Amino acid sequence: MTSTNLGLSHVEGQNNDETSFCFLLSLSLSVSLSLCLSLSVSVWPQWECGDPPLDVISEGVGELTLVIDPEVAKMACQEVLQKVKFLKGESEGSGPGSDGGNSTDQTLVNGTVHTEPIKPPKIPGEEDSEALPPGSVKSARRRQRHNPSKQSWLLRLFESKLFDVSMAISYLHNSKEPGVQAYIGNRLFSFRHEEVDFYLPQLLNMYIHMDEDVGDAIKPYVVHRCRQSISFSLQCAWLLGAYSSDMHISTQRHSRGTKLRKLIFSDELKPAAVRARQPLTLAPFCPLPTAAPSLHGHGLGGEHGLSPTKRTHQRSKSDATVSISLSSNLKRTASNPKVESNQDEVCTGSIYIFCFPLSHFPARLAPQREFIKSLMGIGKRLATLPTKEQKTSRLISELSLLNHKLPARVWLPTAAFDHHVVRVPHTQAVVLNSKDKAPYLIYVEVLECEDFETSNVPVRISETRIRSTRSVENLPDCGITADQRAGGFSTVHNYDEDNEAWSVDDIGDLQVELPEFHTNSCDNISQFSVDSITSLDSKEPIFIAAGDIRRRLSEQLAHTPTTFKRDPEDPSAVALKEPWQEKVQRIREGSPYGHIPTWRLLSVIVKCGDDLRQELLASQVLQQLQIIWEQERVPIWIKPYKILVISSDSGMIEPIVNAVSIHQVKKQSQMSLLDYFLQEHGTHTTEAFLTAQRNFVQSCAGYCLICYLLQVKDRHNGNILLDAEGHIIHIDFGFILSSSPRNLGFETSAFKLTNEFVDVMGGLDGDMFNYYKMLMLQGLIAARKHMDKVIQIVEIMQQGSQLPCFHGSSTIRTLKERFHMSLTEEQLQVLVEQMVDGSMRSITTKLYDGFQYLTNGIM
Amino acid sequence: MSQLEKKAGLLRRTSSSKKPLKEKVVLMYDEIFAKEDPAKNNSRFWDELFLMKVNLEYLEAKLESLDGDEVMKIKDNINSLFHHCVQALAEEHQIKVVNALQTLCALFRGVHQKNKSASGFDIINMLVGFDKAELRMKDLMESLDSLLCGEGSESLKALCLKLLLCLVTVTDNISQNTILEYVMINSIFEAILQILSDVSTRGQHGYDAVVLLALLVNYRKYESVNPYIVKLSIVDDEPTLDTFMLIVMFSPCVCVSRQYKDKEEENHGGFFSTLTSMVRTHLILTNEAILLALYEAVHLNRNFITVLAQSHPEIDIPTTPITPVPTTPTTPLGTTPLSMDMMNSSELPLDPNLQTSNLLITFLKYSSIVMQDTKDEHRLNSARLCLIILTCITEDQYADAFLHDDNMNFRVNLHRMPMRHRKKAAEKNVPSRPLVCAVLDLMVEFIVTHMMKDFPMDLYMRCVQVIHKLICYQKKCRIRLHYTWRELWSALINLLKFLLSNETVLLAKHNIFHLALLVVNLFNMFITYGDTFLPTSNSYDELYYEIVRMHQIFDNLYCMVLRVSTNAGQWKEPASKVTHSLVNVRAIINHFNPKIESYAAVNHISQLSEDQVLEVVRSNYDTLTLKLQDGLDQFERYSEQPKEAAFFKELVRSISLNVRKNVSLNTLSQDLLLKEFSTIS
Repeated sequence: MTSTNLGLSHVEGQNNDETSFCFLLSLSLSVSLSLCLSLSVSVWPQWECGDPPLDVISEGVGELTLVIDPEVAKMACQEVLQKVKFLKGESEGSGPGSDGGNSTDQTLVNGTVHTEPIKPPKIPGEEDSEALPPGSVKSARRRQRHNPSKQSWLLRLFESKLFDVSMAISYLHNSKEPGVQAYIGNRLFSFRHEEVDFYLPQLLNMYIHMDEDVGDAIKPYVVHRCRQSISFSLQCAWLLGAYSSDMHISTQRHSRGTKLRKLIFSDELKPAAVRARQPLTLAPFCPLPTAAPSLHGHGLGGEHGLSPTKRTHQRSKSDATVSISLSSNLKRTASNPKVESNQDEVCTGSIYIFCFPLSHFPARLAPQREFIKSLMGIGKRLATLPTKEQKTSRLISELSLLNHKLPARVWLPTAAFDHHVVRVPHTQAVVLNSKDKAPYLIYVEVLECEDFETSNVPVRISETRIRSTRSVENLPDCGITADQRAGGFSTVHNYDEDNEAWSVDDIGDLQVELPEFHTNSCDNISQFSVDSITSLDSKEPIFIAAGDIRRRLSEQLAHTPTTFKRDPEDPSAVALKEPWQEKVQRIREGSPYGHIPTWRLLSVIVKCGDDLRQELLASQVLQQLQIIWEQERVPIWIKPYKILVISSDSGMIEPIVNAVSIHQVKKQSQMSLLDYFLQEHGTHTTEAFLTAQRNFVQSCAGYCLICYLLQVKDRHNGNILLDAEGHIIHIDFGFILSSSPRNLGFETSAFKLTNEFVDVMGGLDGDMFNYYKMLMLQGLIAARKHMDKVIQIVEIMQQGSQLPCFHGSSTIRTLKERFHMSLTEEQLQVLVEQMVDGSMRSITTKLYDGFQYLTNGIM
Repeated sequence: MSQLEKKAGLLRRTSSSKKPLKEKVVLMYDEIFAKEDPAKNNSRFWDELFLMKVNLEYLEAKLESLDGDEVMKIKDNINSLFHHCVQALAEEHQIKVVNALQTLCALFRGVHQKNKSASGFDIINMLVGFDKAELRMKDLMESLDSLLCGEGSESLKALCLKLLLCLVTVTDNISQNTILEYVMINSIFEAILQILSDVSTRGQHGYDAVVLLALLVNYRKYESVNPYIVKLSIVDDEPTLDTFMLIVMFSPCVCVSRQYKDKEEENHGGFFSTLTSMVRTHLILTNEAILLALYEAVHLNRNFITVLAQSHPEIDIPTTPITPVPTTPTTPLGTTPLSMDMMNSSELPLDPNLQTSNLLITFLKYSSIVMQDTKDEHRLNSARLCLIILTCITEDQYADAFLHDDNMNFRVNLHRMPMRHRKKAAEKNVPSRPLVCAVLDLMVEFIVTHMMKDFPMDLYMRCVQVIHKLICYQKKCRIRLHYTWRELWSALINLLKFLLSNETVLLAKHNIFHLALLVVNLFNMFITYGDTFLPTSNSYDELYYEIVRMHQIFDNLYCMVLRVSTNAGQWKEPASKVTHSLVNVRAIINHFNPKIESYAAVNHISQLSEDQVLEVVRSNYDTLTLKLQDGLDQFERYSEQPKEAAFFKELVRSISLNVRKNVSLNTLSQDLLLKEFSTIS
């Protein structure tokens, strides 16, 4: 897409709206192109009029899979509009169509536009309006002639429903055409947030390390999203920081990434709600240029649309103008004190929202940044302590102090829903196994909410809940007057309906709860005793057999899911072994917030001193492969876990619940993996065992492939988890692609497959083992089919990166080679057989395990 | 009289003049003690008086020297002095305020000193005058309140607290201190609380405030409604409770417990034992007040339980000697500077050598020291109070949950008495375990070490009850604690043995059957409910093993209680209860003993090994029938009244005496204080 078409379209545009949506099918390319563009050009101004047209337009959605969030589109347009408005004063006059602005949109609203079914064109329209140099019709035509077929094919592709984020990213990365890049930059607005979010690391890495055009194309989208969401803002800022860190310090300081990061942290990117409404009120005073061809915030600047050197200049200028005029504008009306006090009105659409001066905005990002900072601070301090035990007790006391500052408008970025953190059950936190760093696992109690930015922060409930006092129970209400100083008791009494539930807190009272607690039949003893206590007159002696008591004891011990023994050197084993649901239940019962229906428990691993960028990369690849296998219906099971990169040496990881490492399993149980399976799930023929075995095989196949494709190294048993359903899960992707631990050259096999694993699968001749190999083959074929999507993730991240996994020049090439595009399926099968055989026979795996055992005590 | 003159100062021995020179202020005092109205001749008399440096000794001595009738004669002047003191408290001039506060102290003390026997109303009349008492005291309390809460000088606040402590402790029995009625009406609870919650003041005044609060709570505790009790019970402000806890934790006496251990290790007998006992004496001197405060907080305020468990870095005072702390005149009741630093910072210090700790741990360690020596009445009281506090703690579900929390493991180094028949507990490396293990250890330690002629029956009862409560909790919540129960079992069996062998001596003083019943019922808990809380199936076998092994003691006990219960007498009833409670233990013994004997006979073994006995036990469960006993997991909840009332009355009396002694005159007339204000124009 180039400005040429746009220019054309602009000329021809406005009458052809109705037909435009069939462009894909019948019309000649150039015409269709122009149609679609013209359509969008003519359509966009109407948006600023408000909501109704949007609703109408959404009718046609069914035809295409691409759905734009109307809000997003609206915002995007308004943003452009706004810039248009601010730039207007400076521009040499109105662009070709600008004078007709308002009138056009009026007619369009009433006219044919309503039937407009296709949404994507609106976005290009937007780009069009920006990218089109005023009066550059001629040059545009010239460009079109240059390479008409390529451009149009490309456009066809872009407009097609097959065009997804992955392709967009890919073109953004590969295309050298500023126009294409700008187009895609705008097109980003049309994708669902989650889809784009997946590629956020790639987007930002491109923003930091690629040339101006790409950066310019991406920035509006990022800025727009930052306005909308605090969490997106923070995530961007953190990623920007992390991915800029490989640059030389002098360049880094002035780099685009750093600037954007500063901009975000400066908190100038205010909620979109505020910005979005602005044009609405201001519109009447500023006649809007119809197509605003001369105005844009996206880089193809005004009169010098073709001159890249000046673009940035123009850009930054326009940006500055925007913010300056914006803030001054806001400050003028800042006198209303009412505003400051009730920020909740921000989104209610009250007129006061405009009056928020920048400075009066409560620091949106501050609480969350502080929260993360204190978590990291704890990690740093823990690292100085010598023993695990000291670390653990220190961690607990640090967290108990942290609790005093909660609840607050803070959240865990790894969670999938909006929430506020209300409490950290500090006693549950554990320090994880690591030699010199101090990663730790915390559980976090949160209350789910509509929107963490606008919902009210929950009120603090005292740790003790409400407790009636013994000796004062009977005293008359004396001495407590309303005017107590310092609000000492103001929060004591009013918990209304919860009162009853909360006063249950003595040993005596527990008795009543018990029968419900433990409903298993063997509990008749305590049942008896309760009965015998309550029925006062039953004097008949009850006899019980000592054998029964002894039997119950051993039965109950056997029935309780095997717990791990506490080991001060490995505090996490016990904590991780406890079934998640039980833990949630237990913590909920002990929490003052537990009675609230929206209460949830989350957990997070805080890593301090570790670079999680590789982890993030691996996690992205895993997610991509998971999607691919799901699409291709290969029943491979893998578990990508969320990674949050906070800086180049800190971050957070979402822990995998109900899983312990194979090392811990073996150390605690002192038996082989197969025996452990038998103990946990039942004998060979039971349903439970077979299910667990199938889970094991499906996950094993998945991770073997991943280990091969990504060359995941450092595969000792401490890095392989086993979950309660029998799946294995690989963690710690610190050594992937071109890097391996200390370059010892260990682990030359394709992946880790020990005899123990094979035993669990039922031996080399078993059906399950064949199933395992078949899954690998299917998985490899499927992955091969979508190789580009995988490669792309890695390739983009290589840009400007010093990560060890990109060491050397052949990383991408060898990665590609491992997909074996040239082999037939039969050949692939042979390959899989070979790899499995190789791994089976490989002594290096055993050697490496032995090495790990010697050096780190990992079994 | 010469005594008095000496106190009047400026005595010039060398001077030939017979009449010694007197300070101006002393002259003014004399004017007050004359019958005339001192302001009659000098209208600015009162203004001038409070500008003068107070001569506390003289004033107090003068008051003391007067007997009741004489005082009544100058009552109007004293009332007037009191009135003007109260008025001066509102003065802007800080020196006046200081002098007024000190004068008030002297007044309270002086009047009480002489009139110990006088009724409270007479004293009020003497000091304030009946008709105006209510108004004056209200003014006084309000002034003190605003001084305590205001922005004023810290020394001033300290002085206010001293005055209040002075006022509260003027009588031996706090409940007879009628003036306190006005302190009840005009509550300064909020002011005390504010001092505790204010980061800047709590380090300096926290200790006094806590002691004051503990004393006020005990004013007519049982007879009337004490607003301080009510208010203390509902405090839920975490920072305040936290401070309360910190003050207890870092109070000098508890701090001493930390060095105590080192002392004990360094020195064995000889010269150093005296030093140790010195430390111990000091420890006893000040700890009662703090222990009482801790008790009141735990007993009255359930929110306090949570801060008990709040982690704080443990402060091990470095190797430098700690002696000055108790003797520094300026802070006889103050906290160590170190603890002040601690309290003032909200961040934990970053020092890997600092172990985190919490009040509960500190308390347990402290208790282990206190319990070592219960010969002296004070120490016995402290040990008793410790056990009462433990009783309250174990009755609280939240505390129990914390004690049993598997995730909260601590090393608690309890102090063990060196005993001849056991090896010096050289276990330097106590494993990190849930706190309840430390509590159980402490109880076991107590049981083992106090079987003496002068049997502390009361302490033993409490101790066994604490264990019982913990086991009840474990049974109800199905907590399988990994604890070596065997130690407890053998301690309990030894206790029974001791009771048996000293039956006659003990029966003269105590109802030993009550204790025996409790102990046997603990065994019954294990026997019938063991399935719900024992950690392993083996531990159940071991229980039987232990009972069978020590069957002689149970047999003897049975014989004894049977004998007593068949004789008519005061012990008939309690003894027969024990007889009934022994039914299961006897069933076990009677069931397994023949089995073991026949096993030995069949296998021709004279001495069975433990494993062999366990084997017999395991294989013969099924033929044994036990009787389910009622109410094993029921216990009487702790209640202070009426059982403990007398104890606390005595305790408060002793604390009052002690505090009074410590709020000495020279504390009140600090030169520092005057210097501080001397620059004020």
